[in-house]
Amino acid sequence: MPVDITLIIVLVIALALFFDFTNGFHDTANAMATPIATGALKPKVAVGLAAILNLIGAFLSTEVAKTISGGIIREGDDGVLITPELIFAGLIGAIVWNMLTWLLGLPSSSSHALFGGLIGAALVGFGTGAIDLGVLLSKVILPALLAPLTAALIAYIATKLAYGVTRRYDNKPDGRSGFRYGQIFSSSLVALAHGTNDAQKTMGVITLALISVNLQSPSDGVQFWVVVVCALAIALGTYVGGWRIIKTLGTGLTDVKPAQGFAAETSTAATILASSHLGFALSTTQVASGSVIGSGLGRRGSSVRWKTAGRIAIGWLLTLPAAGVVGALAALVAHLGTWGIIVDAVVGIGTILFIFLWSRRDKIGHHNVVSDVAASGEAVVIAAEPEAEPKKVAK
Amino acid sequence: MIDWMGFVIVLAAALTGTVVVVGFYSLGLKMLVRAGRVPVVSPATFTDAITVLTAAEIKSAEKKAAKAARKNPLSPLQKRIAQFAAYGCFAVCAASVLFGIYLIVPALHG
Repeated sequence: MPVDITLIIVLVIALALFFDFTNGFHDTANAMATPIATGALKPKVAVGLAAILNLIGAFLSTEVAKTISGGIIREGDDGVLITPELIFAGLIGAIVWNMLTWLLGLPSSSSHALFGGLIGAALVGFGTGAIDLGVLLSKVILPALLAPLTAALIAYIATKLAYGVTRRYDNKPDGRSGFRYGQIFSSSLVALAHGTNDAQKTMGVITLALISVNLQSPSDGVQFWVVVVCALAIALGTYVGGWRIIKTLGTGLTDVKPAQGFAAETSTAATILASSHLGFALSTTQVASGSVIGSGLGRRGSSVRWKTAGRIAIGWLLTLPAAGVVGALAALVAHLGTWGIIVDAVVGIGTILFIFLWSRRDKIGHHNVVSDVAASGEAVVIAAEPEAEPKKVAK
Repeated sequence: MIDWMGFVIVLAAALTGTVVVVGFYSLGLKMLVRAGRVPVVSPATFTDAITVLTAAEIKSAEKKAAKAARKNPLSPLQKRIAQFAAYGCFAVCAASVLFGIYLIVPALHG
């Protein structure tokens, strides 16, 4: 049953931009929690800077958007005809799961929610043939597993390097507080990298929707107005989300030293930027978490809290299938035609509103506001002031 | 097909970039310290955030830095060289970041 195309396209674009907004809202803390916590940046400055850099970052590349618009779901003659209804259902799945995990304080990734939702919807709509498993494995699932490990390894090496180079045995000032200046730049790079990878996911979805209704040919890249609106949505989300985080940062963060934060952020930014360039759509949250854990391990006398680390890993693994189930359900309903779409929209918006209202009466705490990255830092135990030990011996 | 080379490239590129930036920044700080210009940065005041130094702590850190600078065995010329080396290291950092961004933005190199 054909649904009014203009209406559904407008709905899809609106939902996609809302998703982009929640992404920025959710992820400000990734880039800016560490510099604020170590005192490298004033909160106001940090949030403004993050928003601007997200905006700029969104304009830098479109490789990831191409992965999403032209790969995972088989289009064209031998594949399936993507309908805007399918994308709509996928987005509902992604947004509902994203809001739910945010409310519950579960570590999750906005990107995986998006992929899960789309894949679930495509599976219900067209069966297993709809998904290009090769692209899915190569560009989404494997990067998801490998990127945090890569970032952790690099952050570990970088932290060892930073401490090694600046170490002094004569108990004189080592200049490490100078890493605070460095953090201004490294965290800015993270914000930039976040813009390049995450804003592109939304661009990819909108492009996919435009292709599905023949407003654009599949061979073309991302249209400029799509880049602009996505950049604006993520920047706005970052700015709004930042204020919330700042208000509650006082509830405490893991013990991050300037040298460690600098190493972790540089590793995060480098990994995301390199991946974005090759079109790997990865979760910025997970990369940043990997870096924080890696750099924690790079400090002397640290050890891993395996229980916490395991809980985080399970949350990550759960996101894709769970958002897939929600997306699949939404697709089932959407298949009923116009009424199905309306039911989907009402249920989706209702869920978002409910969660939003619920979260307002709930006291905002460490668990649902400060980033998953900060939470993952808790997976590393660091012996009390290992760097200060020689001092005590000297006395 | 699975792009294994892609993962290797990401690892190699990200590792190189990070090691260059972090390595040279650390070296730059070390050189600054040798030049007798220990950076003491007071963090923005933020309640309950970690490692917030009190005014007294900042003062004592600055005093310590000044004392270390006085005892610095380097001659004034050596200090200047160290200082320039430090600035050189920071410049390498900045340049490598800009180069990395240049590499990923297609619009900049067609």
